[in-house]
Amino acid sequence: MILGLLFAIIAGALVALQNIFNSKVNERAGSWATTTLVLGLGFLASLTFGLLFEGKQLFHLENMKLWYWFSGLIGVGVVVCLVQGIKRLGPTYAIVIALTSQLLIALLGDTLGWLGLAKVPFTFNQLLGVLVIVGGIIVFKFGGSFEKQKVFTLPFVKGNKVSEVQK
Amino acid sequence: MKGIIFAFIGGAFITLQGIANTRISGDIGTWQAATITQFTGFIMAFIILMFVRDSNWKDFKQVKPLYLIGGAFAAIVIFSNVASIQRIGVTLSISAILIAQLIITFIIDSNGWFGLKKQKVKLPQLIGIGMMIAGVVILRS
Repeated sequence: MILGLLFAIIAGALVALQNIFNSKVNERAGSWATTTLVLGLGFLASLTFGLLFEGKQLFHLENMKLWYWFSGLIGVGVVVCLVQGIKRLGPTYAIVIALTSQLLIALLGDTLGWLGLAKVPFTFNQLLGVLVIVGGIIVFKFGGSFEKQKVFTLPFVKGNKVSEVQK
Repeated sequence: MKGIIFAFIGGAFITLQGIANTRISGDIGTWQAATITQFTGFIMAFIILMFVRDSNWKDFKQVKPLYLIGGAFAAIVIFSNVASIQRIGVTLSISAILIAQLIITFIIDSNGWFGLKKQKVKLPQLIGIGMMIAGVVILRS
């Protein structure tokens, strides 16, 4: 339990940093150039860690299924959808919707045991918990101040970029 | 309406990515999963880049080198994401990730780190964070 939360916190903290760094790249370069760079470096880093920890074992892919090769495309889908969503709704609305759907889909995936996940039985508390979190996100994002919203919660958020970098 | 659908699917994809990575890790290992998915994603993005050509190499030179390496964090992000989902399930894991993410960004913003303009901390942001944490407590009760 604690270890699971700890891993989640590490992931969240790094995603936050990554989004700020990526937004800075995206200020100068286009969304696709940024995405290509980000995924390319993600690949190199994963390959390096893999070789470091597992050596040649990294290339043993006995249980590989065909669709595994394509699941990386989901990441490209994320960029397409978010860029389009933000273009139409502006960053704040688009981000609140995307964060909400992240949580709702997570609840659905747990409940239905998608892709062989251990099923987590649906309870009212789970739904309530998710709704309170969504409420918190809405208060956080729309609650006055932080006027020029600079909370980069998602990557490649153009309108949410660091436009006023201190010189 | 179209914008709402795009944003919704974008968010859904983020979660789906975590679930798929967890499944693939179970079969072939986490570093393998991270390497393969980042590789195929990179190839696809590169192909699209060749068509849209939305920048040239000089653009990257104007960026402070530190900021160019953000993508490399993905290796540890994917590893932690999978390790977390395996232990506490998708909903709790995603909730904790989002909260950690918002709090860290909030801290960076309010201190004006990484050359960001310092933001004043106001009550709604603190209430929002409090509500999110309360939500996680409810979630696991």
